[in-house]
Amino acid sequence: MTSPIKPPDGNWWDQPVNRRESIWLGLGVGWSLILFGWMSAWTRVGDQNPIGETFRIDAEDYREKLTDYKDRATETDDGLVPPDRDVYLQAMRFQWDGAPVVLETGTEYDIHLNSFDVQHGFSLRPEDALSKQINLQVLPGYEWVVPMTFDEPGTYHIICNEFCGQGHRSMHGTIVVEEG
Amino acid sequence: MAHALDVLGLFDNEYRDDGFRTCSVTGLEVHRSVDNYVKLFGLTAVVALLFGGIFAFTVAMTRWEVVGLLEPADFYTHLSMHAWNLLIFWMVFMEIAILYVGGPMVLGRRLPITTVAKAGWAVMVGGAVLVNYAIWTTEPPNEAPLLTAYVPMPVSPLFYAGAIVFILGTVVAALPFFATMWYEKRENPKKTLPLVSFAAFVTSIIAVEALVGGLFAFVPTLFWRLELIEWWDAAWYRQMYWIIGHGTQQINLVAMIAVWYFLTHVVAGAEVVSEKVSRTAFILYLFFINLGAAHHLLSDPAVSTGWRLWNTSYAFYGATFASLIHAFAIPAGIEAGRRKRGKGGGLFGWLTSAPWSNPVFSSTIFSIILFGFLGGITGVMMGQLQLNMTWHNTFATVGHFHATVVLGTTVAFMGLIFFVIRTMFMRQYISERLASIQPFFYSAAMGIAVLMMMYVGILYGVPRRTAEVVENIPGTEFSLSAAAPLFAIFGIFALLAIAGGVLFVLVAVGSLVFGDRVENGDNADLVADGGLGMAQDPDDPVHAYEMRGTFVLCLVFLAAFAITYLLNWYLLTQLWSIGA
Repeated sequence: MTSPIKPPDGNWWDQPVNRRESIWLGLGVGWSLILFGWMSAWTRVGDQNPIGETFRIDAEDYREKLTDYKDRATETDDGLVPPDRDVYLQAMRFQWDGAPVVLETGTEYDIHLNSFDVQHGFSLRPEDALSKQINLQVLPGYEWVVPMTFDEPGTYHIICNEFCGQGHRSMHGTIVVEEG
Repeated sequence: MAHALDVLGLFDNEYRDDGFRTCSVTGLEVHRSVDNYVKLFGLTAVVALLFGGIFAFTVAMTRWEVVGLLEPADFYTHLSMHAWNLLIFWMVFMEIAILYVGGPMVLGRRLPITTVAKAGWAVMVGGAVLVNYAIWTTEPPNEAPLLTAYVPMPVSPLFYAGAIVFILGTVVAALPFFATMWYEKRENPKKTLPLVSFAAFVTSIIAVEALVGGLFAFVPTLFWRLELIEWWDAAWYRQMYWIIGHGTQQINLVAMIAVWYFLTHVVAGAEVVSEKVSRTAFILYLFFINLGAAHHLLSDPAVSTGWRLWNTSYAFYGATFASLIHAFAIPAGIEAGRRKRGKGGGLFGWLTSAPWSNPVFSSTIFSIILFGFLGGITGVMMGQLQLNMTWHNTFATVGHFHATVVLGTTVAFMGLIFFVIRTMFMRQYISERLASIQPFFYSAAMGIAVLMMMYVGILYGVPRRTAEVVENIPGTEFSLSAAAPLFAIFGIFALLAIAGGVLFVLVAVGSLVFGDRVENGDNADLVADGGLGMAQDPDDPVHAYEMRGTFVLCLVFLAAFAITYLLNWYLLTQLWSIGA
């Protein structure tokens, strides 16, 4: 009685399982554990994790921080040079306030991300290697501090990848990374 | 007797005095009420498919920027129409039909409380119309909702109202199914449910979880939009929204797998190689699959690392393991079942001898293969905490869910509709040849379009949900124009896939309107070799037959899985250092 549209008779639980199916079950368990183990271990030993401290903050309070940071930063032709390791960015329809910013390779920066209005997407890649790209969600009401250390100099482009309104497609900023 | 409104005679099968008929293909006792309501929900689903499919054309031809069909304002409206009609209305109307198949039809019962089914249908239709109206009449300062309507972007309150009405209608329409299960278990407390009914029951529970999550997301947001309350929290909304946003896709998945077991059995003679193993897999889904909603929050600031690891892995990959079980059990069921029927010489004789010209069979098989290789594997990739950073909100994500929901669920549901046309509407296909070709044509074209979506997303970082980014980003010299060649391939194959979708609607609707009526014995060609009675011989257990062909195929699948995994991780490790 092995029709999927008829009730199975008798003690179907104790029916033997084909040997090849049993082997496959073993492979499946093994693969599942590898998937979990690798992902979990990478949060401890890996260099790429979407992990950072998060704080709740009002958009206006974050704007004050951003303004204070801009006052302390040095303006250059390529963009703002941050006064220390903290870099503040605020997404707003339809720009990245705080960008362009000039950073150095080999220094760990704390990138502070927040949105002034609606949800945005922080999508970053170097100009000359589009396949090296990362994407983080940016939410109003939250300040996310994600550390980053760039190892290659170049111009990195930020585009918004969460629909934020009619001008969404024009929302672009840059991070210029110079040899440190 | 046909209803006075039924001018096409679509609801006029002949029944015995007790209201039942015996299906010549499945051998099931089908009551008039089941026939009629499965048809009603199925037809409504096809209307949504046709309507949403029109927007597939406009959306794809905008994303292919060489054509650049729509202005941004229109694009987002069209994209929202495409999403809601295909991802929600086409799927959910079909799923109610599948509950009625998996419940009362497989159990040989009548559909109880049909007035509730009718009311549920009417409320669902009302909700669907309201959502479509709200999207289509979007006016500034409101924005088109897309699928997600993330707060605090202003979206028409009518949209949230429509979504809530649709959710409530769906719950009402599911009640006759729950009543069926209640009556069945009360009358036969010792009897085990057939596997397909069991799967439908699991689907329904997952569905209710998802729908309740939807109310948590949409009701407070509606109040906020009506200015009854002032509070919103973007992170909270995302978490609540994805209970339904991802949960509905899990309904699609589990309903699709129920359809796989059903159709492979009926048209190819597949049998259940282990009730214990397959049912355990459904139980794993029941407990773990809805945790997958976390896949949308992996690159979010507001949820902890531990929460993300636990949920994204469905608790140590419990639901992935369940899918791996079905990945073996279903082809093994076909292989062993066909070997039993003398149709399985060599390693793959069971496959080569299968009824490939029957669109019910070919649709189901393509659904299984393409869902697994393209949809399932990529789902696990982007569901890894770190890899998600390279997938999140890129066009590759869109590729992933077109692999699951189109190549997987839609293709399987198309197969089911081909089946329903022959066995419930009792119509011959208007063209056997076109019906046979459709699954091959559609799956192949869509498969390539989907691959291109994934490549441009992963290799070039092309974002989703934008009208313009490859050729030009307004205000900067920078663009993603390196992705243009792959987009050309995408555009051409998207057009071909849409042609395949049109072909489906033409064959389906054409057969219903103009197809010859199926008379006694005409459906004999649909029946699996050797008939379905063979599955009930207790002295000829199916688990004793060879499953080596399936084993080889599954090893190939696992190898593809591992290679894709390594490639994705290789790309990730090329990045600069990110995160604490």
